[in-house]
This record gives sequence, structure tokens and C-alpha cells, in this order.
Amino acid sequence: MANYENFVRAQLPRLLRYARMLTGEREQAADLVQDVLVKVYRRWSRISDTDHPDRYVLRMVTNGYLSWRRSRSARLIAADELPDEARPDDFASDHALREDMWQRLARLPKRQRAVVVLRYYEQLVDAEIADLLGCAQSTVRAHAHKALTTLRSGLTIEQLAEAKES
Amino acid sequence: MDIEKLIKDTFTAHEHDVPDDDTVLAAAQQRIDRRRTVSRPLAVAAGVAALTLAAVTVVALNRSAPADNVAAPADEVQAEPAIADLRMPFSLGWLPPGSVDYRVQRVNVVATQDDPDTPLYGGEYMLTVTANGQNLNVNVQHFPMASVDEVAVRSRPGNPVTINGQRGVESSDAGGPGGYELYVPHPDGGAMYVHVLTEFPYTAPAQQLVDVGRRVAQNLRYPGNTTVTPSFGLRDLPGGMRICAFDVGKPFDPSPLGSALSTGYELGTCTTMPPIRLSTANAPRGDPGQPTQGHPTRYVNENGHHSLWVLDAVNDAPILIAGSVPLTDLYDIANRLVLPR
Repeated sequence: MANYENFVRAQLPRLLRYARMLTGEREQAADLVQDVLVKVYRRWSRISDTDHPDRYVLRMVTNGYLSWRRSRSARLIAADELPDEARPDDFASDHALREDMWQRLARLPKRQRAVVVLRYYEQLVDAEIADLLGCAQSTVRAHAHKALTTLRSGLTIEQLAEAKES
Repeated sequence: MDIEKLIKDTFTAHEHDVPDDDTVLAAAQQRIDRRRTVSRPLAVAAGVAALTLAAVTVVALNRSAPADNVAAPADEVQAEPAIADLRMPFSLGWLPPGSVDYRVQRVNVVATQDDPDTPLYGGEYMLTVTANGQNLNVNVQHFPMASVDEVAVRSRPGNPVTINGQRGVESSDAGGPGGYELYVPHPDGGAMYVHVLTEFPYTAPAQQLVDVGRRVAQNLRYPGNTTVTPSFGLRDLPGGMRICAFDVGKPFDPSPLGSALSTGYELGTCTTMPPIRLSTANAPRGDPGQPTQGHPTRYVNENGHHSLWVLDAVNDAPILIAGSVPLTDLYDIANRLVLPR
């Protein structure tokens, strides 16, 4: 299983970063990737036969997140109430602006968040995202549109301008 | 409004705060090792659980066992080779109410170095019970070479518990991902492991998991009468070679297997890591090889590690036979496949 170990060592940093962006939490990301690594080990003969094992495992992480995080967003809202409207003095720094966006991302439904992470963090095009999620490109665009609409909600023009200039 | 830039910046600002590679890798390795325990030779008095791999497809196990638990000798079987059911070494006598989805059923066969003709059998069930919108994952596994005194529960230090008069150890990770774990002695040696957990956000009451896990353990049946039907079989393995393990499970999507179960076998002497692995596979590669049983083949040689795909063997899916053995050995195994008609 030397190939498995080499593969995992090479892919692990990316998988952990990706899982971190998906889940929003370090511990959840660690658990998610750990589960996937165990599954990859068991199925390595099959996965290593695929044309793109890295993409295959990325899909496993994504599917794990989508199936694992049921009701996640609801719990986050309950645990960390967000203001309905952001106030100017909440954004005294870029850091605060990004933290606010981080919280907004956490409130997204899981598929919308997955699309946002794949598009803006993994830099995948919609066709690749559709392939990864097993849906149509139009579905990807719809998720992205809804997500961006939600994320914009409550941000003032000044705050977005600040983000653009930073 | 450049919200897209803000999103990218937000991700970038958090990408340094990731879990430690080594910690995650070590934790995963620990779980893998725990599952592989049954594959390691260890001198243990062999109280052999009954595993019936009925009919000619599995006579290669060539072991002795109680007469009512062994397959009929090959010369008593008149029928043509057929894909035989595989019997699990233990059965689950009780599961919580709901729809049961078996994800994996697996058996490992281990021969000890001291007594290689008396193999030990370890079985495993992985399943999901769905009821009232709740998915309850249940994993039950036999570790034939572990004892309850040696085991380490995942969640936290275990607590003693008595199940059917036997001393076990249990651990409950209330509200957490660890779920409920329980080890109890197997009557013929080793430890039985019962793990019950729900999915995130782990809203199931901890006591529910405890009750389910204990009751599953109380109702384990030895020997097993549960059979599974693999998607392909084997017959008449070469001398000295046994089936060291098999696993049957739901295909990992995407799969051309359709409704057929993914199936895997490990072949060898069972005293060391099995040298040959067979499994239903997805994408074949390599160069065209000799047709086998009317099926085209492909093969790859990677520094002496050979892979041979028998194409269109199960539905439209190939069977992959692989190992660090001569390619002719893999063709020999391929000719002993029992394929669905």
C-alpha cells in the first residue's frame, strides 16, 4: 500500500484545507478527512484505478460533508446568532469584514456552501463543480446565485466597496 | 460590488487554520490498523467460529471444522459451478426497528503461524438503520485475536459492563462523533465490537445508542446463519491457496455494477498478507491480454506488481485480479472465476 501512503501524504494538506472551508471548523474538518482516509484505504484498489484519484477523493470529501452535516447550518445559527443587518462599526477592519463573511458562509445551506467553496476556493469551473456534485451546470449556477444573494444580504454598499479596495 | 473577492479573501484568511496533517493521518492509521488486526498472525488457541462457504466455489478454504458447518466436499456436488452464498461467522439476532441497509459484510480468515491449518475467522457488518428520519449506523465486528482486556475504546476510557453474564467494556461519547462502543468476549475467543452512532449533529439521545448497542450485543448469534451472495465466485484454487478474506457491499458510486454487490476476495496462505486481491472494479487500463472464459482482458505490470482486468465479467463491470506474482498466476485465477451467467 505504498502508493496509498504516498498519495495520502501528497493530498492531505489540500484535503484538510478544503474540508476546513467546507465545514468551517477545524475539528469537523479533521473528522471528515479522517473518515475519508479510512474509506480510501479500504477502496484503494478501485480508487487508484481511476483516471483522477485526487478528484475522486475530493468528491468523497464533498459527499461526506453533504451527507454528514445535516442540519449543521441550523445549529450554527442557534449557537451563534448573527445580526440581521451589519452595522458600520462592526467593520472597523478588513479582519472584521472577513470574519463577518465567514459567519455568513457558515449559514449557507450545505450545497450552496459547497458550490461557493469549489468555485471561489478550489477555483473550479462550473462544469467541474457539476461533475463533482453530480448535478447539472445550471444547478451549480442556481446554487451560486442563491448563495451570493444571501451573502450580499445585509452588507452595505460601503462595506462591499471597502472589500473591493482592500 | 466585489463580493467574490471578499469571499476569496475570507477563505484565504482561514486556510492557515487547518488541522495538523500528522495528527489526522495518525488517527486514520489507528483506525485502519484496528481493522487490520485480524490480518496479523498471532498464536492464539483456535476456537474456530463456523464459517460455511458452501459449495464448490469455496472448497479452497481446505480446513477442518465441525461437520455441520462445512461445505459439502466437491465430489458430492453435482451441479455446475455456481456462485455460492457466503455464510457469515456470526449473525445479528436483533436490530432496532427500521429500514436496514447493509453497506458492507466482510469476513477475514487468518491462519496462525503455530497452527496454519486451523484458521480463525473474523466477521464484520456495517449497516444503517433508518427510522423516523434518523439514520443509525451500526458496526459489529469480531476481532479473533484481541481480548476485551486489551481493547481501547475510541471515545474515552471505557467502563465495565456485563452482557449475558460476560464482562465487557463500553464507552459512550454522548452528543459526540464517537457514538457508543462496546466490546464483549466472543465465546470461542477474541472480542466482539459493537459501535452505534448517528450522523452529525448527533442529536440522538445517548441512552438510545447505549440501549441499541447493548441489545445488539446481547443478541449476537454464533455461529452465523446469515448468508450473503457475492457477485462472482471462485472454484478449485491452486494448492496451498485459500480465500483469506471476502467482502460484499454496496457498490461505491459511480459503478457499472448496477444492483449487483461489489465483491472482493483476498487469496493466499493467510499466514502473511494475502498476495492476490480480486475485486469488482470500475475502469480497466493497460494492454490487451489473453481472453479468459470468453472475456477480453487487460493487464499492467508495475515493477512486478501485476494487475489483470477481466472485462465485462459482472454486468458491465470488470473484475480486477492483482498481486506481486507472475502474470500467469493471475490468469490461472481468472480461469477459476465463477461468473454470473
